[in-house]
Amino acid sequence: MKPSDNSPSATLSIDGEEISFTKGQSILQAALAAGKYIPHLCYHPEFRPNGSCKLCTVTINGRPGASCTAQAEAGQTVESDTPEINDKRRTLLQMLLVEGNHFCPSCEKSGNCMLQALAYALGVMSPHFPQIFPVRLVDASHPEILLDFNRCILCEICVRASDEVDHKNVFAFSGRGITKHLIVNSESGRLADTDFLSTDKAAQVCPVGVILRKRKGFTSPIGSRRFDVKPINEQMERIAEPVGKTSGGSSP
Amino acid sequence: MSKKIKVATTSLAGCFGCHMSFLDIDERLLELLELVEFDRSPLTDIKTCGPCDLGIIEGGVCNAENVHVLREFRKNCKILVAIGACAINGGLPAQRNQFDLRDILEEVYHTSVGLTQGSDIPNDPELPLPLNKVHPIHEVVKIDYFLPGCPPPADAIWKFLTDLIAGRTPKLGHGLLHYD
Amino acid sequence: MSFELETAKLSDKLRRVAIEPVSRVEGHGKVTILLDDDDKVHQVRLHIVEFRGFEKFIQGRPYWEVPVMVQRLCGICPVSHHLAASKALDIVVGAAQLTPTAEKVRRLMHYGQILQSHALHFFHLSSPDLLFGFESEVGKRNIVGVVTAYPDIAKKGVLLRKFGQEIIRITAGKRVHGTGSIPGGVNKSLTREDRDFLLKDAYQMVSWSREAVQLIKQLHRQNPALYDVFGSFRANMMSLVAPDGGLDFYHGALRARDADGKIIFDQVDYQGYAELLSEGVKPWSYMKFPFITALGEEDGWYKVGPLARVQNCDHIPTPLADAERNELVAYGKGTPLGATLAYHWARMIEMLFAAETIKDLLHDDDLMGDDLVVSGEHQREGIGVIEAPRGTLIHHYRVGDDDLVTMANLIVSTTHNNQAMNVAIREVAKRYLDGKKLTEGLLNHIEVAIRAFDPCLSCATHALGKMPLEVTLQDADGNVLDRLAKIPHGDS
Repeated sequence: MKPSDNSPSATLSIDGEEISFTKGQSILQAALAAGKYIPHLCYHPEFRPNGSCKLCTVTINGRPGASCTAQAEAGQTVESDTPEINDKRRTLLQMLLVEGNHFCPSCEKSGNCMLQALAYALGVMSPHFPQIFPVRLVDASHPEILLDFNRCILCEICVRASDEVDHKNVFAFSGRGITKHLIVNSESGRLADTDFLSTDKAAQVCPVGVILRKRKGFTSPIGSRRFDVKPINEQMERIAEPVGKTSGGSSP
Repeated sequence: MSKKIKVATTSLAGCFGCHMSFLDIDERLLELLELVEFDRSPLTDIKTCGPCDLGIIEGGVCNAENVHVLREFRKNCKILVAIGACAINGGLPAQRNQFDLRDILEEVYHTSVGLTQGSDIPNDPELPLPLNKVHPIHEVVKIDYFLPGCPPPADAIWKFLTDLIAGRTPKLGHGLLHYD
Repeated sequence: MSFELETAKLSDKLRRVAIEPVSRVEGHGKVTILLDDDDKVHQVRLHIVEFRGFEKFIQGRPYWEVPVMVQRLCGICPVSHHLAASKALDIVVGAAQLTPTAEKVRRLMHYGQILQSHALHFFHLSSPDLLFGFESEVGKRNIVGVVTAYPDIAKKGVLLRKFGQEIIRITAGKRVHGTGSIPGGVNKSLTREDRDFLLKDAYQMVSWSREAVQLIKQLHRQNPALYDVFGSFRANMMSLVAPDGGLDFYHGALRARDADGKIIFDQVDYQGYAELLSEGVKPWSYMKFPFITALGEEDGWYKVGPLARVQNCDHIPTPLADAERNELVAYGKGTPLGATLAYHWARMIEMLFAAETIKDLLHDDDLMGDDLVVSGEHQREGIGVIEAPRGTLIHHYRVGDDDLVTMANLIVSTTHNNQAMNVAIREVAKRYLDGKKLTEGLLNHIEVAIRAFDPCLSCATHALGKMPLEVTLQDADGNVLDRLAKIPHGDS
């Protein structure tokens, strides 16, 4: 393949390896397509990128940037899998882990959770920071879907899905800084008072254990869950699995 | 003959699952006993921790006595390891942190109808004072290593110990590092 | 209500000795002893010094999390809680009857747990006292000492425990804190490879369990002056029994007998446990004091666990264990054994029963079936009772229409034994410590008594919930003036 600007077979280098990309792809998309995993949480291939979680941060020609929003361009030198960058990613994960109540031992998403899988892949061994133990709500008003806000990492994927695909705008963010949180767009604030359905796109896309199908927890045995079989960095396809399926098992 | 490595262990506000997972090394225990000897531990009758090379702590801190024991371990052990979810992030006992401690105690021992005459919140001085919140142990003393899991699988504990004893930095790979 | 040696008069004139922590038991306990200047014992208490608050923080969680969460009260017997919670929630999800595969997988899990827990308790925790002597050298009086002095015994203990743990790993997904049992059934069954893997060692485990029973009988025979007398006391006993009165760890109905073996109640559906049992509170322990309501706090306390179960039932359904049971019962010459150390003998008989049951169960192809879960019309309340290694375990939950838990009540095995353990250690103090200068070895006698019950003190710390209680007000002639029953509601 001859590298030349904007041609379909242009290449960039990531961690010393040349990969090709097509015009319009972000660096993250190019990397994932080429089988090079870059950690990410708030990115979903079906929606516009958010650039908020910062886990996909790479250096592009020496400068840090979010690979989910940066356009891939020919000749770029991208570094991702370096000790310094991975260190910062671990810190980001640690901050996420102490900010909510991420009690993996009894969480039904365990083994299928992107946050957990990333923490395993990057080798996060301790929270480092003091645990905040916030008081967060559980909304079980809806007949089929449970919302456990203890685990929300503000990835915003459900907001985008409900807006762009379902055209229902069920979810939104409220508050700023440390008080920023996910809310339900109904007068009562309860999910039951919206037109949310378990078949909505927004019900399928939560990467962690917030939006859950009721009565399906722990039906997938240990050893058969998605990340029991292969770590997240060896699974290039979109990893948030449909909430409607029994947890674990094959990818969507 | 080289001296054996002195190991002390304790379970603070833990369920003992990490100690059970340690025993899940099964016959490898016999191999391990060639290299280590135990000081204070739930498995021995030594009640206070003396100078040790390695201290392994399961469980977070939920009362004053836990803090006292934790500090005794930090003082006496060259290397201190936090093992399991409770020691590392509070674990199951920390699930009470969402509630006010006074409310919890009042609900059970004070305000409930129909308790036997004279029932009150247990308050004998022999009972250590509960902490307001349950805390991970690294928030109280410096911890040298963390071994996550609930409990960490025996193979992870074995890998960790053999790395440490051989002077390597312990490293857990896929399948050994778990939080659940 | 106070008992002998529970509360000293003039305690400020006495000196205090503490055993802290109680070692070679699961969890945290401490014993305090008050003595006068003549070394006479005035007070002995076993304190449970921690609490978790599980019954409070489980409220507001979805019901399917409960079996996975509640087992984390204890690391030795998580399967007991995992299954008791599952049984309670079976009722909540309308699963009146499980599939054959689900029930048998659960039974295998449970009996595997009994095997490993009893093996751990006997070989790893208690054998040092029994093999070396209660006052033997502290440095040797532990599992390491046993490995050195009796390597063959130690190895069998390790491998017996390993076998039980492997059963749990295969059925629950992990050796400690698995997820195999869910409301309405299980989430996996055995593969043919799993079954063959376990079956190949199953006969050996029966054989070694038999040897363990012979060992404890031999120790008993060598020192009847100790084994028949140490910590001996009269007590009622309670356990589940099968419909035919046989021993069954997984399911049954409630039976209680008094210290002479007479029936107090029999074949009572455990859904009605709240009418049978009450709990008292004392200020010096977080663990409560259950008693049979009809008999009152002073006479209604009882013991649970191996020694109660083996003597409470009419027979054991497997032949080798049943023969051993007959021998134990005959030893009592018509009266149930009250010697604390007989717990070890009964425990090894139960371990043999578990090994035989596992061996039989592994021949059943239902273990490899595909039909795993059932559900029906959801209910709002469920009670699950099971015989854990340490005794009767009661789980009681209420669940709202939104699937969140509104109430939880646990009475754990060790709690039932609270009064019994206190009585045992007071017996030991009176007989062996009274008037003597206290040495480490003498204090160990107290711990030996506690260890015999195989207490799970972590389980005991779950407490903080709404215990169902009934208080009866009687005048001096015993006429009932008033009766108050507190049955916990979600809102009161």
